Amino acid sequence: MRAFVGLIRKEFRQVFRDTNMVRIIFAMPIIQLLVLGYAVDLDVKHIPTDVYDFDRSEQSRALVEALRAGEYFTITSDIEPMTAYPVSDVRGRFQDGSSEMAVIIPADFSERLQRGERPSVGLIADGANASQARTGLGYARQIIADFGADAAGAHPPVAVRQRVLYNPEQESVYFMVPGIVATLLTMITVMLTSMAIVREKETGTLEQILVTPISGTALLMGKLASFAILGFVEITFALAFGILWFKIPFAGSPVLLFVLSAVYLLSTLGVGLLFSTVTGTQQQAMFFAWFFMIFTILTSGFMTPISNMPRVIQYVTYLNPMRYYLEIVRGIVMRGAGARDLAHNIYPMFIYGAGIFTVASLRFRRRVK
Amino acid sequence: MNRIGFMARKEVYHILRDPRSLAVVFAMPLLMTFLYGFAINLDIENVVIGIVDLDRSKESRDLALDFYGSPYFSAPRSEADLIDMEGTLRRREAAGVLVIEPGFGDAVANGRHFSLGLLVDGSDNLLAAAVQAYSQGVLAEFLADRLPPGAPRPGVELSQEVLFNPDLVSSYFFVPGIVAVILIMISALLTSVTLAREKETGTMEQLLVAPVKPREIVVGKVLPYILIAFIDGMLVLLFARFVFGLPFVGSVLLLMLFTVLYVSASLSVGILISSRVATQQVAMMFALVLTMLPSIMLSGYIFSTRIMPLPLRVISHIVPARYYITAIRGILLKGSGAQALAVPAAGLAVLTLVLISVATKSFKRGVG
Repeated sequence: MRAFVGLIRKEFRQVFRDTNMVRIIFAMPIIQLLVLGYAVDLDVKHIPTDVYDFDRSEQSRALVEALRAGEYFTITSDIEPMTAYPVSDVRGRFQDGSSEMAVIIPADFSERLQRGERPSVGLIADGANASQARTGLGYARQIIADFGADAAGAHPPVAVRQRVLYNPEQESVYFMVPGIVATLLTMITVMLTSMAIVREKETGTLEQILVTPISGTALLMGKLASFAILGFVEITFALAFGILWFKIPFAGSPVLLFVLSAVYLLSTLGVGLLFSTVTGTQQQAMFFAWFFMIFTILTSGFMTPISNMPRVIQYVTYLNPMRYYLEIVRGIVMRGAGARDLAHNIYPMFIYGAGIFTVASLRFRRRVK
Repeated sequence: MNRIGFMARKEVYHILRDPRSLAVVFAMPLLMTFLYGFAINLDIENVVIGIVDLDRSKESRDLALDFYGSPYFSAPRSEADLIDMEGTLRRREAAGVLVIEPGFGDAVANGRHFSLGLLVDGSDNLLAAAVQAYSQGVLAEFLADRLPPGAPRPGVELSQEVLFNPDLVSSYFFVPGIVAVILIMISALLTSVTLAREKETGTMEQLLVAPVKPREIVVGKVLPYILIAFIDGMLVLLFARFVFGLPFVGSVLLLMLFTVLYVSASLSVGILISSRVATQQVAMMFALVLTMLPSIMLSGYIFSTRIMPLPLRVISHIVPARYYITAIRGILLKGSGAQALAVPAAGLAVLTLVLISVATKSFKRGVG
């Protein structure tokens, strides 16, 4: 037991001796949270829009005002139309990024509206940013249709009452923080573990440890326990920051979150350990860890929903332990889910972790001997 | 000049001695492009929605068919426990539940006002937004189909046109971003270990007693990697062309020019890190943290820089990926010429020069 504590102390001293490492461990979560909290906004807003108003009537101006009123469009210029159909003009403005959308109001707009005919309005979108173009066209269609319905005094008969549970204001920070917690825990534990053993090998200190009366198992446990503790510190820190700074509500049980995080650590420590047994240099270990991270983050549902991925990739995501953990963190933090609600994520995560951890430690013991 | 050449040659030997790592340097970007390209898709489809039909009329069944018939929605695995709506959402069996209360069929048939209930799981913002927008859309079409033929449809006619990407394929927008993110990560990783390795293995002293100036060491270390990273860039772009069908509308020469500028800036980020840290481990972690997050978040790759708060918008101007993404999107998709892209070109050149001179300075200070 004394040897074990000694090993943990050694490991911590090694990590914290390097001030840059401390910076990475503690500054990284804050920076990630700040950047993600403030930068991530998938809403389509303020699309720079050119208006070509050939009509210049009260109604056409009212339509432009209706477009301007929401947050969706920023009218960049109200261009005095020079040509009959300004599409070549628009092309140039899209190319140098001056605008990304154009609205063309024909000269007979107000006249036909008054006569109860359907005047036609033209929309041109820059398709380079496809999802923005799609959403922007949708918004514009809605606004113009409402404008038309108002002008004609007609309204659709069936409406939808919506109620959003769990994050009614749709704050994207609330949504991102659980994802960041899962990412941080994965990154820190996989990277440190995968390099830890290789590093001792590269710098020649592994032999020194092996001649001490410490067994291979104790050495392994000491290292893993240290990284697990660091991982817990990291997520506690990130969650506390999220709760205090961004005021995210924590709906579920913190105890459950920590217990299940410990289960998740079986997978990340196991993967890290496995990498350290198959690589020879720190750089190679780093490449492995890096690739694993990219794979786990991308296929976890952190950035885009899994249900939206191609079918083959969806099957691949079942091999990704973070997929389950992310569901668990989001479930507990945002929806207050209990263990029973999350059972279909807990079982596979546990089986995965136990399996990979066993394989990795068997390999490790063989190598140390 | 000659001495820079010697430094570069020495670095080439380092690279060639470890062919395994070199293979990784070429294989990794392709693998990542593949993963990124397929995993990131923001055109949400197949959202699982539960429908609780309490009306059981012909109209309500038609509406349910319209929902499940659209590409946007799909049905939950089992309909048994939809009545426990909150539980369904808490277990994430559906992203939303639509409730059709009794009287819907009557109201539609007689043109009376009626309101449907929709409960949405807000814990996944993307899905929540999609459920709300799409259900309005499906409902609007359902109602439009039921207007008597020949009835006057007052309002405004719309004609729409999409330039440059008429089919609105969203991967055309994201793939250039992927190229940028991958290139800067691999470039920064490559150079970040160069100086740190010399420090860690104790060969730095030998280098310092040799008659080379700090600037020559720094520049000489970067030069050979420009070629490697440039080849990487071309590989990734070709891969994107053939796997994701990315269009190449504009000038290939301009594209190459921008790629050289961009990898130079990215490699300079790595050498700056390397000049300031003591070990390879820390160098690599810094290289990943400093390039991955800003290049994904602050470059306009996914999230528009236009709507960020001012401090982040200011920071985004020192993110090399921002300029490269603007440039290659312009060249590849819109055929923008050199004139339209003068700002990104200047941005990348200035960044490279600043990074290299700061690296030289901090290298000198570390030495002296």
